[in-house]
Amino acid sequence: MIPCRAMVFVGALLVARAVGAATESSPQLVAATAAHSVVKIYGAGGLRGLEAYQSGIILSPDGRIATAMSTVLDSEGIDCVLDDGRRFEATLLGVDPRRELAVLTIDAADLPAAVPAEERAAAGTRVLAVSNMFGVAVGDERASVQRGVIASVVPLEARRGAADAPYTGTVYVLDFTTNNPGSPGGAIVDSRGRLLGMIGKELRSSAGGIWLNYALPVDELLAGSEAIVAGRSVAVAAADTTPFDLGLLGIVLVPDLLDRTPPFVEAVVPGSTGARAGLAADDLLIAVGGRAVGSRAAAERAVGAIPAGDPLRLSVIRKGKVVDCELGPRPTVAEGRAPQGAAP
Amino acid sequence: MNWPLGMLSLVMASMVVAVGGAANAGEPTLAEEAAFRAAVGQVAGAVVRIEPVAGATVTGAAGEEAGVASGPSTGLVVDPAGLVVATTFAVPETAREAVVVLADGRRVAAKPLGRDVPRGIVLLKTDPIPAAPAIEPVPRDLLAPGQWTIAVGRGWSATEPSVSVGILSAVDRGWGLAVQTDAAVSPMNYGGPLIDIAGRVIGVVAPLPAEPAKMMRGTELYDAGIGFAVPLEDLLAVLPRLAAGESLASGILGISYRSRDAINGAPVIASVRQGSPAARAGLRPGDRIVAVDGRPVRRIADARHAVAPRHAGDVIDVEVDRGRGDEATRVTARPALAAALPPWRRAILGVVVAADDEDDDEPTRIEWVMPGGAADRAGVTAGCRVASLVPLDGASVDGDVVETPSNAALAGALAGLEPGGKVRLGLRRGDDVTATDVVLEEMIREVPDEVPPPSAGGGVGGGVDAVRVARLGGADVAVPPLAVIPAGRSPVPVLIWFGSPHGAVDEAEATAWKGAAAAAGVAVILPGSRDRREWSGDDIGGVARAIESLHALRPLDASRVAVAGRGPGGVFAWLVADRLGTACRGVAVCDAPLPRRFEIDDAEPGTAKWMLLGGSRDDDAARRLLADRDRLARAGHAVGTLADLGDGGPPAALLCRWAAVLGLL
Repeated sequence: MIPCRAMVFVGALLVARAVGAATESSPQLVAATAAHSVVKIYGAGGLRGLEAYQSGIILSPDGRIATAMSTVLDSEGIDCVLDDGRRFEATLLGVDPRRELAVLTIDAADLPAAVPAEERAAAGTRVLAVSNMFGVAVGDERASVQRGVIASVVPLEARRGAADAPYTGTVYVLDFTTNNPGSPGGAIVDSRGRLLGMIGKELRSSAGGIWLNYALPVDELLAGSEAIVAGRSVAVAAADTTPFDLGLLGIVLVPDLLDRTPPFVEAVVPGSTGARAGLAADDLLIAVGGRAVGSRAAAERAVGAIPAGDPLRLSVIRKGKVVDCELGPRPTVAEGRAPQGAAP
Repeated sequence: MNWPLGMLSLVMASMVVAVGGAANAGEPTLAEEAAFRAAVGQVAGAVVRIEPVAGATVTGAAGEEAGVASGPSTGLVVDPAGLVVATTFAVPETAREAVVVLADGRRVAAKPLGRDVPRGIVLLKTDPIPAAPAIEPVPRDLLAPGQWTIAVGRGWSATEPSVSVGILSAVDRGWGLAVQTDAAVSPMNYGGPLIDIAGRVIGVVAPLPAEPAKMMRGTELYDAGIGFAVPLEDLLAVLPRLAAGESLASGILGISYRSRDAINGAPVIASVRQGSPAARAGLRPGDRIVAVDGRPVRRIADARHAVAPRHAGDVIDVEVDRGRGDEATRVTARPALAAALPPWRRAILGVVVAADDEDDDEPTRIEWVMPGGAADRAGVTAGCRVASLVPLDGASVDGDVVETPSNAALAGALAGLEPGGKVRLGLRRGDDVTATDVVLEEMIREVPDEVPPPSAGGGVGGGVDAVRVARLGGADVAVPPLAVIPAGRSPVPVLIWFGSPHGAVDEAEATAWKGAAAAAGVAVILPGSRDRREWSGDDIGGVARAIESLHALRPLDASRVAVAGRGPGGVFAWLVADRLGTACRGVAVCDAPLPRRFEIDDAEPGTAKWMLLGGSRDDDAARRLLADRDRLARAGHAVGTLADLGDGGPPAALLCRWAAVLGLL
């Protein structure tokens, strides 16, 4: 559900919803309607070949526009072009670095703001995407429309280059290609023309390694933009990615010689935490705290990501069966060193 | 109130629809959406997540190989007793275990049982999964491009199935191994079902299998509107074999066709590989395939479509017409396809035949009989024509005859026979036909001292004086090669020699080849190097052009093209031979080890080469030479010796004699 306070952005539209916007329209009509509330944004670019354009969504009739936080906005003059061709210079109101979201404002009134959906959509929902993809919509030409379905509704686990994506909340994974230049900031709408989400920036899935086509759900979009408008700063909590040496728990893994060394247990120190939890030599570690680990390095990172003091559960394959081992609270590195006198 | 135009239209449209009542399901868009969800609901319980398990070893390249999953993928429960289908991408050959995550989030261990290698599919065994619903396959013949397809996966979430929607793009891909869809497909939903709008399973999503995938790795195609699925019907047909732990390989029949048009050519067999399923089933060169497994075959592509989807071990029905015209009889062979063929052993009669004359339909004419060879011992003499060849191996003494109207037909017949086998040749001289039995011998390795005289091909000899030297190529050729061309009009063999690189070749170098070229009746091409210090990739393209230019001056025998070289030129000769492919029938090098990582194809009829290796300036070079000889011989090629003259001049006489007998049959 969208927080009630988010509705201030769309107050003018409450009437419209009351009349019955929650009814299906033809795809043509939905597309035309959704296109009205998508703007083309032009700003800085050219640096490292990055494009100087993207997309935005009109949030309120008085000129608030949500878009993706990007280098396009690092510019003296950011231009927004409405679907009727009118061009406005925009002011950057603020950014939410966690959601990679920015809010712009333009000096205009009576704009066709987007109608947000009231509930999260499920996998299989038909959607349209409207965006300034590839910057092909010139002059007063309207943004481009694509169609597809929501493939999955899952927490984002993604990387940009070597860094983890700052946002780890839920996203809509899409079954069509929105990972295009100019698409970030564009709108995803359902069959009734209601805004479901905003197309996100280029990211690679850290699970599958593939490029992602995804959107930030509208409730996150509205919560983030409200915080920006209210001037609340948004801090990005840095995740702990320091690998944790399982040797500190008495669990000796095979030597890490490959890119993806299988995390076999080489030996378990008698009397150690690992031994008490029932781990044994030849166990193959497959999951840490319920999350799959495909290599020794991934296993040690996954253990490191569990906050010290939280329960640590390791799943292993032993003689063709999956066995879960509870190791109690994960110690800090210092604690781990202290009691395990026999650690290798 | 000042309504924006867009909002006004939305509200108006909404009101119009609202008047129609709440029957949203009657609207096409939502009705389809509801149908997608219902279809997914039918199979969701049978779709599981597959998690990657790194390779079974902690050394070597396991787990680092290309095209292996590093993230979650999908599987399909085909039997609630615990049989799960996944892709080789998710569970590579090296994996001894796999992890399956059930719809309730529970992890269970799985063991790979059998594999369908050409389709890239593996069958896993887990504990029973009683919650999995039965799945219903769509019969292949009901599939049509344009119909809805939905790819269901668990790669994104183990507990909520992912959905991507598209249409069927094609029903036949990879010679019948797969169907194609435009639904979004990625490693995340490989192994999951591709279903129709009724929730029946069309196939299992997989990277493009087999041959086309070599050009572009299947896994690189995601997001391109192109995805593939292996039809479930095909997998269910082999499920018992996979469950029994069988690894199903592509099935090889062991024939080649006469036509060079591998699609539209007539399906007439050129050669039946010795020791192949086709040979054991009694197929013969000259047979014309008319049906495979009851499917009519009119061209080579039809036969390929019928055979490609079958596995090693499968028995297929091959119907052929044998014999000419009205006398043809319909024969059915039942070969059991093989996973691999035994190494080919080249058997020869010990003759050189005249190049084919396309203007007449006369059988092959024997131009020269190798002294002391199999044909010579049997009393065959030059000048007669080979009208027929009957293998006398017990199985075919019933009088069935392989007619040999062309050199290719004779070579094709011999390709299927082994050294030591006996054949009865029908030899025609004038109007007389006599039967002569010949015991085939193994292909020779060393160049015989005596080779066909240059006049044998009807060419005019004329000796050294009649040999001319010409510069090949036009003004646009940077370093035009020199050609040493013997007199006459009959097709001659071609030898291409690469010496030490020093830029353009001069007339004096060409003159040194004149005597050898005249004596053996061989044309010699002497390319120059663009760079004065080394042979480079730029020089390779000029070689094929030089052959063409020479062919314009003098007819060439395409079955006798050879490359040779010494030192850096020898190394370059290996590369040129590779580029020329099957057009090159011989490689002779001195002090030129095989380039590292150079791929050697196994010798097969039509691709086998005769190689001469020499030189051993030091112990290390001698060791490499031995290793190279061994490697080439093991691949089934004939490997002889190229003696180095040591005086800096090319071993012209030996090489020209060798080129003259390259086409030995």
